[in-house]
Amino acid sequence: RSCLGLTPALTARRLSKSRKAPKSHYITVRQRQPLLMFFSHEKVNPEHLALLLKSEWKLSYVTPLYQFRHTQLKSYSRQLSAFIAAEKQQGFAVEVDGSQSNFRVSFSVVQGMTETEDDAETVLIQVRAGFLRPISEAQRSVWSGWLTCVNGNSDYLCSLPKDFICLPLFGSSGSEVLTTLVQSWFQKMFDCCFGPLEMNNTCLQWLAALWTNCHPESSIQHLKMIWTLPVVPPLQITYTVNPKDAWKLWSSVRKDPCEENKEEEGVSIDIEDVMRFMQGLKSHFYRHFRLDLSAGCLKQVSTALGSATFSGRVKISNSQYILSTLTLLTECALFKMPV
Amino acid sequence: MAAKLNVSESSESDSPNLSNLSACSRTGSRSLRVAEKERRKNGAEEPFVLALKYFSNVEAGTPVIGNDEFERNMVLVEQVAYFKGLSPEAISVMLEFAMSSRMGTNPCVRVLKCLIPTTMVPQEAVVRGVAWLGVGKIPISSQVLFIKWVLTIFDMIDAKDQLRAIYGFIFSFVTEESLCPFICHLLYLLTRKESDIEHKMYLLFPQGRQPFLSHLLSLYKVLCPELVTLSIPSRMRSGFRNHNSPWKSALIAVQKSNGSQTDSSTSLPLTIKEKTSLRKRKHKHLELPVLSSQVNKQPQTEPFTSRKVVPLAQLHSLSQLLENMHCIELPAQMGSLLGSSLALQYLDCVQDESALLRLNFWLGYALNEEFFFCGDGGGSQTSEEALQFLDKLLSSQQFLQEGFSSTEAFLYKFLSVWDGSLFRPQILSLLSNIPVVPNSQIGQLLFEPLMQLFFTSSLFFRCGLMECLNNMLLKWLTWHSVYALEDDLDISLNSHTSINMTLSGFKDSVMELIHFAGRLGSVGLQLEGCHSLLLSFILDFYETVCDTFLKYGLPLVVMPPPGVFYPALFAPDPVSVDRLVNIMYRYKVNLTSAKSKEKQAFHISRQTFREFNHYIVVMVNCLWNSKMFQPDMGIQLGEELLLKSNIPEYWASFDLVHHPAFLSYAVDFHQRVSADHLDGHDLCLHSKPWTWYLEFLNSQGYDGTGFSLFPSFKNNASYTEYGQHLCFISAMLQNGFQG
Repeated sequence: RSCLGLTPALTARRLSKSRKAPKSHYITVRQRQPLLMFFSHEKVNPEHLALLLKSEWKLSYVTPLYQFRHTQLKSYSRQLSAFIAAEKQQGFAVEVDGSQSNFRVSFSVVQGMTETEDDAETVLIQVRAGFLRPISEAQRSVWSGWLTCVNGNSDYLCSLPKDFICLPLFGSSGSEVLTTLVQSWFQKMFDCCFGPLEMNNTCLQWLAALWTNCHPESSIQHLKMIWTLPVVPPLQITYTVNPKDAWKLWSSVRKDPCEENKEEEGVSIDIEDVMRFMQGLKSHFYRHFRLDLSAGCLKQVSTALGSATFSGRVKISNSQYILSTLTLLTECALFKMPV
Repeated sequence: MAAKLNVSESSESDSPNLSNLSACSRTGSRSLRVAEKERRKNGAEEPFVLALKYFSNVEAGTPVIGNDEFERNMVLVEQVAYFKGLSPEAISVMLEFAMSSRMGTNPCVRVLKCLIPTTMVPQEAVVRGVAWLGVGKIPISSQVLFIKWVLTIFDMIDAKDQLRAIYGFIFSFVTEESLCPFICHLLYLLTRKESDIEHKMYLLFPQGRQPFLSHLLSLYKVLCPELVTLSIPSRMRSGFRNHNSPWKSALIAVQKSNGSQTDSSTSLPLTIKEKTSLRKRKHKHLELPVLSSQVNKQPQTEPFTSRKVVPLAQLHSLSQLLENMHCIELPAQMGSLLGSSLALQYLDCVQDESALLRLNFWLGYALNEEFFFCGDGGGSQTSEEALQFLDKLLSSQQFLQEGFSSTEAFLYKFLSVWDGSLFRPQILSLLSNIPVVPNSQIGQLLFEPLMQLFFTSSLFFRCGLMECLNNMLLKWLTWHSVYALEDDLDISLNSHTSINMTLSGFKDSVMELIHFAGRLGSVGLQLEGCHSLLLSFILDFYETVCDTFLKYGLPLVVMPPPGVFYPALFAPDPVSVDRLVNIMYRYKVNLTSAKSKEKQAFHISRQTFREFNHYIVVMVNCLWNSKMFQPDMGIQLGEELLLKSNIPEYWASFDLVHHPAFLSYAVDFHQRVSADHLDGHDLCLHSKPWTWYLEFLNSQGYDGTGFSLFPSFKNNASYTEYGQHLCFISAMLQNGFQG
């Protein structure tokens, strides 16, 4: 009778992970990313890629979708359009003639965004307005969003029953109302839950280090970090580092990368490297301003390659590193999974 | 029909409508009373209340033209309506006034145009308005305006059941040419599958093929495809048009101004939504989803398998559930099950892994969002919501007699950040429901955080935690005793459950738990100065522990630590001492029975027997034999120290007569006996006072100390000594009385 439990695999994951520092496990997985995960542009539809790079995304985590099928996207498009129309018209009588309030939803698969076999294909959702007008510019996109899973923890993904598709990372850009509508439709259709994905300090520090690490290949222009310090009145500090200095500091804290290169393919980045890097930045700041940033909270990191905020807004500007960034974000989202 | 209803104006009329009308004026006056109360709070509202009073009381036939009073009141109502909208009561009063045409038909349009609701529209008012349509003295244009108004505010009507009940009545207006488009629209909004469509269909056909009719027909076709055979274009260019023009801008303005002032509870969609959603969304995760049937149907691959399914939402009783057991469809959102015991019953039966996982995802999400991710802590309202949520969760778990795995995962995380007081009863109850934790993780997941909390919290937390551990142990033991029957003892306990645990693994976990509770108990008693409340909870725990073998079939006997045993033995209250004796007796029974079939059962370590024997010797020597502080007893005090204390016969100071817990009983006993015998010496000479005393204790409810459990001690050779002890007491008492 005691079947209200989960499969042993899930139990194991939960027990082993819930207490550990979230990142320790990831390091080994991410080790080779910055070099290996060059994006093969042929694989991905350039339109989709351009869309992904164009806007800033508000991130959420999503629990696994129940009975989501990549083959049913057409019907989902229809149903979501109808759902949005119905919700929009609530409060006023049925409005069929008004053309401006009509939304057309399209679901599409973004091929080639997966890294492992367990990753489900990324799904892109676009909402366009002006559905009765001729298909032209009038069909402006008013909202877009995507669900993705890049390099998800395979133990976790495999432990889910077949009925579930795990696309834990949800990004949206567009009006909040539409985001809420789309989310509530997903909740009703696939019995999943959406929660805001804020990026903790560790995650932002990782991003800062990863981006800095890319500097020799593509310039980061600047490394800008925004910190807040818990004093009265609250103090916000914008800390901008010259890219060359950042790179110098980064290479100095790295454990002799050449040596490692010989031993194994690719470059590995360790959480300790990241911490040393941040410590270097902080102590430099302390020497100049007598302010210890460790007491504060990292709120935002931005470089020419992308930017990320504590509240979970992310912009990825460079297609080369999109997968490594998404891998990190997928990990953060998976870490938020309740079970 | 119209003529008959016409007379209902006059109060003397005996038409059936009279009662209705008076009911209305009663509601009117009730609303006024409510308004009056408001007025007392807020003097500025007074003229508006008076205006409403005027409209509800104005006599039929009062002229409008040149009526300054009417004009003044009307302007007032209009001002309020356009500025902040009308309350539900005001809507009722004004609508009734307009539709009854008490002052002729002229004001009707004017009133209808200013009926801007603030929050919602009472259904009764709308139903009464529709009823007035039947009277037929309102001009058609006003009737049209009224239906347009109903269409505009349709989503703000508080309920629609009564409107649906008069579906047929509304339908009868379809024949009215100019009303027809609007009536069709209203019907379109009201139609349900249950509506008596079949009947209506024949009336509709002669009406022609206007777009509004085909729209209604298309809906009928969806609901009853077998009845409508005419082909309807799949996409109709235009259907019902919006008729909200007279009110739209005013409605939006009112909603906006209200939205910025207060957070109206019934959110008006579209406009206010954006404002309130921020606040609301934050706590939305605690709302149970509505129990609704599945939207995302699996594509039917084989057409012939289209068997009938019954959504859980449509079942209302257990018998219905049983009848449809084979074809029940799970709801779209499993979280909705938490609110319904019927659904939980079904869930308990089907044991569908995916369904459980869905429920767990939702539950874990809600708990995480509430307690971890919602950083702001929330106000009192939040904690009220959270409390209700936890209570609902608890009652569901109690109903299933099992904890959800997401709750378990949540608790492990939560314990490390818990302050020990937030929702203490709920969290501890949830904790007592967790399934067996593997031995290797139990320390890290449970004991470390609990230990910290235990040492830093109040007595009540400590008692609560002991109770929680006791319940946890009980659940684990019950779980074991159920499965041990199904499977052989030495193979892994049931392979079909979540936790694949061998018997020895299970035993280790239970042992860890008992040792942990023992450690907490010992330290807790020291910290609290052997508080009897805490002691009582600890003894509760050991009452479970001492019977693990016989009652739950688990081959395990763990003795209490000295830190628990001695405080209980020397406790100042007789109940604790008596319970300790009972517990030791149960230990004895368990050990004896384990030993008698030791070959099949299990091996008990010598250490356990040694501990048990030691405790028994101490207990017997102390309580019955008056041989405290003997060298072999474990409690050793220097001879000279004891002599220095000047306690006469210190070796007897904790026997059943002198034990602080029982002294009062000894006194009581003595008084009763000496009343019978008059002379205390009689008692001392009597051969069996000790037996009498024990029987007396037994009669007082102390069956442990009263020897009924350890009858072997009854024949103790030294019981004559007790006669002397009792003599001592009698002497002491007599002295006391004389002195």
